[in-house]
Amino acid sequence: MTKVAKQIVVQKKEGLHARPAALFVQIANKFDAKITVKRDADEVNGKSIMGILMLGAEKGSVIIIEAEGKDAQQAIKELEKIVESE
Amino acid sequence: MKIMDFLSKKAILPDLRMSKKEDVIKELVDSLVSAGDIEKSNRVRLIEALMERESLGSTAIGQGIAIPHAKSDCVSKLVGAFGLSKKGVDFDSLDGEPVYIFFLLVAPHDSAGSHLKALARISRLFRDKYFRDSLRGCEDDKGITRIISQEDEKF
Repeated sequence: MTKVAKQIVVQKKEGLHARPAALFVQIANKFDAKITVKRDADEVNGKSIMGILMLGAEKGSVIIIEAEGKDAQQAIKELEKIVESE
Repeated sequence: MKIMDFLSKKAILPDLRMSKKEDVIKELVDSLVSAGDIEKSNRVRLIEALMERESLGSTAIGQGIAIPHAKSDCVSKLVGAFGLSKKGVDFDSLDGEPVYIFFLLVAPHDSAGSHLKALARISRLFRDKYFRDSLRGCEDDKGITRIISQEDEKF
């Protein structure tokens, strides 16, 4: 099983607030891979809006996205676009 | 940031009467007006801002929870209202489930940081099913305040 992890700096001006979180989860749910997002000591399900919001990831914060499954590579590629866009 | 720092104690509705999206938002805004947190003259403008935000995508975040929110110059600091619906409200949630727990937030325009922190705080507490279920079982505002305060103190 492919497992991919990527560390990303949040570039969104207002951080991962409700709308980007919803978009992130929408994209994450397209994939079979298990998706986990980490920030400091918190680790949440990347397919849950509440999980992503809980991280309170503001601009400049560092998160790690992990994907595990056969489409993991593609999942990370699409998800990092959301976090890195402004 | 604690929830009780921004939740208006007088804007806690244990039994929402309304059952349509816009009506529930009005009901919650009215509770903030009655509580003295929002000037009556700003009521319509605030409701419009909240509905406009909903039109960009529902603020129902799953697990029966919605966090309608807007930025507005009718407040000088972040303020929130809370409401429970016994029968559930169709809020166009992404998971298709009705919403039972509402947390409405109004933030001043320059408050990106505190707004994000409030969303994070609400999500952190409300992802706990036991907490959500205890809240939904509350019959009055005092019970709701007590349960949220207790949870707020835990972490």
